[in-house]
Amino acid sequence: MTHPENPETAPDPATPATSSGEGSPQTARSSDTPRTTGSGFGRVLVLVYGIFAVAATARASVQLLRDWHEAPVAYVLSALAAVVYIVATVALARGSRTSRTVAWTAVSVELVGVLAVGAWSLLDPAAFPEPTVWSDFGIGYGFVPLVLPVVGLTWLWRTRPPQTSITEPKDPA
Amino acid sequence: MVLPLVLLAVALCAALTGWAGWFVARDRAVILKQLWGGAVIEGVIVVQMIVAGVLAATGSSASDPVKLWGYLITALFILPVAAVWAFAERTRWSSVVLAVAAITVAFLEWRLWQIWTA
Repeated sequence: MTHPENPETAPDPATPATSSGEGSPQTARSSDTPRTTGSGFGRVLVLVYGIFAVAATARASVQLLRDWHEAPVAYVLSALAAVVYIVATVALARGSRTSRTVAWTAVSVELVGVLAVGAWSLLDPAAFPEPTVWSDFGIGYGFVPLVLPVVGLTWLWRTRPPQTSITEPKDPA
Repeated sequence: MVLPLVLLAVALCAALTGWAGWFVARDRAVILKQLWGGAVIEGVIVVQMIVAGVLAATGSSASDPVKLWGYLITALFILPVAAVWAFAERTRWSSVVLAVAAITVAFLEWRLWQIWTA
């Protein structure tokens, strides 16, 4: 019934063996860092992103559909947060080369968004009559919205494929 | 009527979190028995939905039924989705996924109670 597949710190079985390394610095990395963004620790990250995608979407839907007149700008930012979380969730879960670029963009926007909206909501509380995911730097969600993009960017960096870590080989200016 | 149901759900979520957390410490993946534990929580949420429906039908609905049902439906979907997502991974990280999902449902239950009694 149990699955004693990890007698020791077993690497993710889904991780492709470090065959793409070709003697690059990547091979020196610990084997428990998967190359895909959606497995291992990434599986937890995608879940948390998914939860925030649902939470932000639900909240923004109510705010925009019912309370639109209260604070249009704040609630549009709420919807933007929802879209960013959805895009980041899907991109991190897929983990293909294109998805990785999309994830970098989405998580970067997320970081800028939580910092900007967080600062704005503190300076001008009247603009946010009802809390949004990013207002007060995500205090209503235990500051997870503030930590999440930092973790996301770190994860994307740690799981980066060998090619992107090398500076452009030929770029005749 | 409402508070005991919320407390029951939170207690079950805490138990499942502890169980999954123990598996994380032991470097083990999620097992089927834990998903049955999640199914029990799902049953409690369904009962909460029935109670919310009956209360609404008898005229004593929450002050913000849209939010109430939003939280109820979200809470209902978290564990099944997380279970599928966790089972695709046969490492200790699947146990972390289950623990995070259970904590999330407990948080949603707390918010649910706030809305219900508002």
